[in-house]
Amino acid sequence: MNYFVKGNPDLCIGCRTCMIGCVVAHEGKHIFEVDPDSYTFNPRLHMVKTAKISVPVQCKHCENPACMAACPAGAIQMKDHAVIIDTSKCMGCKSCMDACPFGAIDMVTEAGKFQADGKERVVANKCDLCSGIPGGPACVRVCPTAALTLVKEDELADAMEKKRMEAARNLFRDNQE
Amino acid sequence: MGIPEIEDAGCLLCFGYNGADSHPIVARRIVRGKQKGMKIICVDPRVTETARISDMHLQLKGGSNLALVNAMANVIWNEGLADIKFIEEHTNGFDEFLKVIEKYTPEYAETISHVPAEEIRKAARLYATTKPAMILYGMGVCQFTQAVDVVKGLANLALMTGNFGGPSMGIGPVRGQNNVQGACDMGALPNCYPGYQSVTDPEIRAKFEKAWGVPLSDKVGCAITHVPHRVLEEKDETKRIHAYYIFGEDPAQSDPDLAEIRETLDKCDFVVMQDIYMNKTGLHADVILPSTAWGEHDGVYTCADRGFQRIRKVIEPDPGLKTDWQIIQEISTAMGYPMHYENTEEIWNEMIDLCPSFKGATYEKMEKYGSVQWPCRDKSMEDKGTPYLHKGGKFATKDNRGVFYATDWHPPMELENDEYPMSLSTVREVGHYSVRTMTGNCRTLRNLEDEPGWVQMNTQDCERMGLVKGELVKILSKRGYCITRCLPTDRVKPGATYMTYQWWIGACNELTNAKLDPISNTPEYKYCACRVEKIKDQEWAENHVKELYDEIRTQMGITAGKGDH
Amino acid sequence: MKKNLGSFVVGDSTKCTGCKACEVACFAVHSRQNNPVGKTVGTVTVPVTPKLYLTRFEQGCMPIQCKHCEDAPCLNVCTKGAISRIDNQVIVDPEKCIGCKDCMQACPFGAIALLPYAKDGKLAAQAMGETKVFASKCDLCAGVEGGPACVRVCPHQALRLVDPEAEAEEKKIKAAEALLMTKNWR
Repeated sequence: MNYFVKGNPDLCIGCRTCMIGCVVAHEGKHIFEVDPDSYTFNPRLHMVKTAKISVPVQCKHCENPACMAACPAGAIQMKDHAVIIDTSKCMGCKSCMDACPFGAIDMVTEAGKFQADGKERVVANKCDLCSGIPGGPACVRVCPTAALTLVKEDELADAMEKKRMEAARNLFRDNQE
Repeated sequence: MGIPEIEDAGCLLCFGYNGADSHPIVARRIVRGKQKGMKIICVDPRVTETARISDMHLQLKGGSNLALVNAMANVIWNEGLADIKFIEEHTNGFDEFLKVIEKYTPEYAETISHVPAEEIRKAARLYATTKPAMILYGMGVCQFTQAVDVVKGLANLALMTGNFGGPSMGIGPVRGQNNVQGACDMGALPNCYPGYQSVTDPEIRAKFEKAWGVPLSDKVGCAITHVPHRVLEEKDETKRIHAYYIFGEDPAQSDPDLAEIRETLDKCDFVVMQDIYMNKTGLHADVILPSTAWGEHDGVYTCADRGFQRIRKVIEPDPGLKTDWQIIQEISTAMGYPMHYENTEEIWNEMIDLCPSFKGATYEKMEKYGSVQWPCRDKSMEDKGTPYLHKGGKFATKDNRGVFYATDWHPPMELENDEYPMSLSTVREVGHYSVRTMTGNCRTLRNLEDEPGWVQMNTQDCERMGLVKGELVKILSKRGYCITRCLPTDRVKPGATYMTYQWWIGACNELTNAKLDPISNTPEYKYCACRVEKIKDQEWAENHVKELYDEIRTQMGITAGKGDH
Repeated sequence: MKKNLGSFVVGDSTKCTGCKACEVACFAVHSRQNNPVGKTVGTVTVPVTPKLYLTRFEQGCMPIQCKHCEDAPCLNVCTKGAISRIDNQVIVDPEKCIGCKDCMQACPFGAIALLPYAKDGKLAAQAMGETKVFASKCDLCAGVEGGPACVRVCPHQALRLVDPEAEAEEKKIKAAEALLMTKNWR
């Protein structure tokens, strides 16, 4: 099963430390360089604030990803429990963005890489669960209120099992009465 | 009370305080309290993060604080929820207080605050019947011309319910800036020496004169918010201010009515600015003294909960840079009063020996305990300070009794009118701190939010005016105007607008009203009348904003990050 | 908010009946601008040559057209600089196009076709008596009042003009609301 990070709106204070943590994790020490072109600020999750909710939204790493199905370039694949975009293959056609029901994909410029007309390359950008980054998803690690959780197969299975047990107990109680 | 005590309160009345934006670390305690079952009553004109998770959100109209507070007191009394034993044993002035709050029925308060009377009743009951109950208040209380009155009004609520003198109760001001508490503790107030010792008390003055070996003035000094008047309008030459030494402050960004501040700085004969980076005030200074930032020097901060905490130097500053205390020492010496300190601990020790309530807060203790909350009167390691005040209902008055004080509500000084039909309140946003002299120089934070900032407006108002998210708008008051981006949101009520005050272009203090609370001298940042205008030519506006920004950067001599947005 | 991404039209195969109204409307709109067809949509000599293609496949049918890619392969492959981004959209300049067909090969959607180039109501000629052709693709009805004609004429609302940023914004809010509903998943 693919893993995913989910936020809890009850705990989130909307501070966006997760977004900064995401950029720092993916850009590494570039962020400390003075040259402004040396890094790009492309958070892979986004804070949503409405009257009722504050919570970051990111890729759910679907098991049958609509983005992967929509990509004409074969740039999206499943790897290490995550749905990952190979930006070198991406041509920015936005098919994945259109296909994703969660708005979890955006299009971003790639610093220092240019198109034929001199403009910077624009490619699809989304959560990769910090693939290859030690310590796992940075957003989970930096959240000051521990509002983000990395959900793995075991956790989900355990939760489902727990709920089934609870349901069974309740039904048993009903039958007794 | 201490910040860590927040999460153990039974009920939190969070009044005009938006922790998530101004103090995420305090907000964490509120979130944790909620998880532990704390009831939260949030009083705020906006849907803040605390309002979102609160049990009750009283979304009052801006500027109606005191009416609501008095009405809560009215309900507590009339429904028999007051702690009569505590009132009798530990307080004075209750009868006079009752006379004032008598007319503040929830129905009357509803007409002012637009909060349904029944909601006010429910909130008052929840606060009065859940123990321990704690009050936190922030700038939504303090930045009104009726600020001190509301603070006293909130204290009345705690007094009449016996919520003083124990853990997780009482009333907590969560300060507007980092170390504001420390600045006040250290006597950066016009009327006090360090340790809240009055400059007009001859005994205290004699103590400081003896310690410092100089005669000292017995006159109360000038509040920062009185400076414009004392520079621009003072007729008495002997009282007119000619020189202004500003450090760690950016009045040309943070003070109300910026046009007046600029005039003040320009007409003042001599302005010194001492800061870590260039800022708006620096553009009007005759001398700029660069100093070190946190991480480059040692010192002590006071947390909002009176806790003294050490800050430590972790990196060497650039060669030639001096710390604030070294600069002050050299200037003092040059002006004829030699100072010779080797380090901050020497200064600290001199200070605590002159301040009875700080005397026990040694560096050694701060080092060992992390935080020492004053009063801490004894240097022995056993005196760990005072987590909460007024233990056993003993207050810091002559007869140890708490004092009720009530007064009538009055509206803000400048109300909506035909020409300026909306209200404006200044607010904070998480990420950028204060005037952003520090955070504006942090690239990732700048990436998150940058010039010219936002004006938060209700979606209905935006629809009516044909404004969409991100569109540049002009916002005007009687005093000036600025350009900023429109942020439609249902977190704010129709007719009200909110702006953060740190942007150079979207500088909302061009608009704010410089009217002051008569006691605290704090300006009414939270209420003035304004008008929002649509800008037809967005392309022009985008360019104009960019030009204005480039112009300021050029004036400041900033060359880094040219290619940045 | 200033738009940063190109919009595009996308078809819905669950609604499309294959009536080709979109193709006809597309050609009608563009021929009025530059093709010598006169009052009718197509004639015996001038076939209907739209910029989107009703495509029949095993499971059904739907129109396919340009996505106005952000790192557009057609733009990047064009040696003549005939394809450029104007107001976020990918646009071919027929004057500059030499008909090399590189863009057609680069495009992963088959959204480009060669068309005779007409100017001032006449087919443009080139040397040796040949007619000049150019790479034709969806221009999102640039300059046409009311926006893309295909979207407007579809009798089954099977075509949709996508503003990807605005739609992503809305979808994010829905996703956040879903988190509110699943917060007690454990």
